[in-house]
Amino acid sequence: MEAMRNGLTGQGRSGEDQAFVRMSNLSKVYPNGTVALNDVNLDISEGEFISFVGPSGCGKSTIFKLITGLSGHTSGELSILGLTPKEARKANNTSFVFQDHTLLPWSTVIDNVMLPLSLRGDSRKESRKEAERVLEMVGLRDYTKALPRMLSGGMKMRVSIARALVSKPKLLLMDEPFAALDEITRQSLQDELLSIWQQDRSMTVLFVTHNVFEAVFLSSRVAVMTPRPGKISNIVPIDVPYPRGEDYRTTARFSELVGAVSKSLNH
Amino acid sequence: MGKSMASAGVIAAEHAAPRKRFLSKAWRTRLIGAVPPAAAFILFVGLWEIIGRQFDIPVFLLPKPSDILNAAIENWDGLLGALLTTASETVVGFLLSVVIGVGAAIVLASSKLVERSVYPYAIVLQTIPIIAIAPIIVIWFGAGTNAIVFITFLIGFFPMLSNTLIGLNSTDHNMKNLFFLYNATPLQTMWRLRLPAALPYIIAGLKISATLSVIGAIVGEYMAGLGGANGGLGYAITVAATRLKTPYLFACGLSASILGIGFFLLVNQLSKWLLSSWHESELAKEN
Repeated sequence: MEAMRNGLTGQGRSGEDQAFVRMSNLSKVYPNGTVALNDVNLDISEGEFISFVGPSGCGKSTIFKLITGLSGHTSGELSILGLTPKEARKANNTSFVFQDHTLLPWSTVIDNVMLPLSLRGDSRKESRKEAERVLEMVGLRDYTKALPRMLSGGMKMRVSIARALVSKPKLLLMDEPFAALDEITRQSLQDELLSIWQQDRSMTVLFVTHNVFEAVFLSSRVAVMTPRPGKISNIVPIDVPYPRGEDYRTTARFSELVGAVSKSLNH
Repeated sequence: MGKSMASAGVIAAEHAAPRKRFLSKAWRTRLIGAVPPAAAFILFVGLWEIIGRQFDIPVFLLPKPSDILNAAIENWDGLLGALLTTASETVVGFLLSVVIGVGAAIVLASSKLVERSVYPYAIVLQTIPIIAIAPIIVIWFGAGTNAIVFITFLIGFFPMLSNTLIGLNSTDHNMKNLFFLYNATPLQTMWRLRLPAALPYIIAGLKISATLSVIGAIVGEYMAGLGGANGGLGYAITVAATRLKTPYLFACGLSASILGIGFFLLVNQLSKWLLSSWHESELAKEN
């Protein structure tokens, strides 16, 4: 926590003892012999915003699946605050946003946002208050009774993000959340996500994307991944202090960093 | 009936001036749409009547529409009683097939092991013609309402089972992952995700079973119908056939198809309401 407050990149200092997510020699080999992930070593400290960038097939979604426990690793170690992925999931500290908004089409916006709370048995009244709070954060307070089909793609994604935030997670996993959106919507959602996160930076965010601009804009570190076999080829620290605003996109430093990440992608 | 519909449409169209319209636009389109089939119906029935009179076809071979109408009016009480009996058997059998079909599908879908071990036999059972096992059912349940309801249930059961099962098993993969990641119990996943997601499939099953259960009830009455005041349409048809009361036979057959159509429309309406309340209910408020 202290390390997070002090360090802008959140890198290094806390890596040794207090890693929030620790991957050591992490590998995943599918039964058919495909090596999806080969010998990945990475420590993520609390309060970091780390992006995984790479072309398809580089194993970035595999990392996502391993951390969520949707799939098991074949060798190496993976721990989240000292817990296995399964234990971490049971602790209810983690939230998820997928590329697909995965909203229940028959439930209203507020019911969709309340889902994680109601599944774990929280009282309806409390859940409702929380859901209204996060809907306010994503600017959809007036749409509580709307059904998902009435919303635009960007609004659906906002609801999906609100649903992830409602349980006040310590770890937020996002798997290409904005990939299906148009550029303008994507940028405004990036702005919103960043402004929510940098309010207190109490969440650790793992963000999978294939968009270099997005990664550089949001992250404190960018892990560049290369395919066949999937591995982390480079880690680029994004040394621009938070809070970052929209204007950061037009700075020379932004272009430099985008250039640096793109360069290591092409190796 | 067809004529009055047609003229109402014309009148409404002519008065389409600034004044408040007699019928809403949707209704006028509907009425105008009903004109061609109504005209075809009148033409068909008229030709039938004329040919029957012209060629003097014996009534026991092919009764004229007027003969059928007369037979229906003459035996009105019997016909209505038979119709009500068949309708109630249909409804009870249909409801049983829905409840048990959906329930069995939930059980099968809850465990891959159960599904794999039981479902093949369910399919085998489905391929047995009900007519072939109806006598056994009569032996077990005795002739009468119980056997008829059981036969009705059996005919409607499998479409409900297989449709619901397909629906429960085709839940979106990402949604299932979401529920898994948020630590939903299997029961929560079933009630809050899989069952609602299967509703369109269940409704498709409802429509199939609705029409089949009318057939089931009449077949049941052929095989297990008791006579007297409580005999259904199936029983009335067998009696009319053996006595060569062909006009009444036609009247019974037509009543059976009216029952079938009515029942189907009812279920159709229910299905529309069920699905639209999900998808559209809030639409009006927010726009």
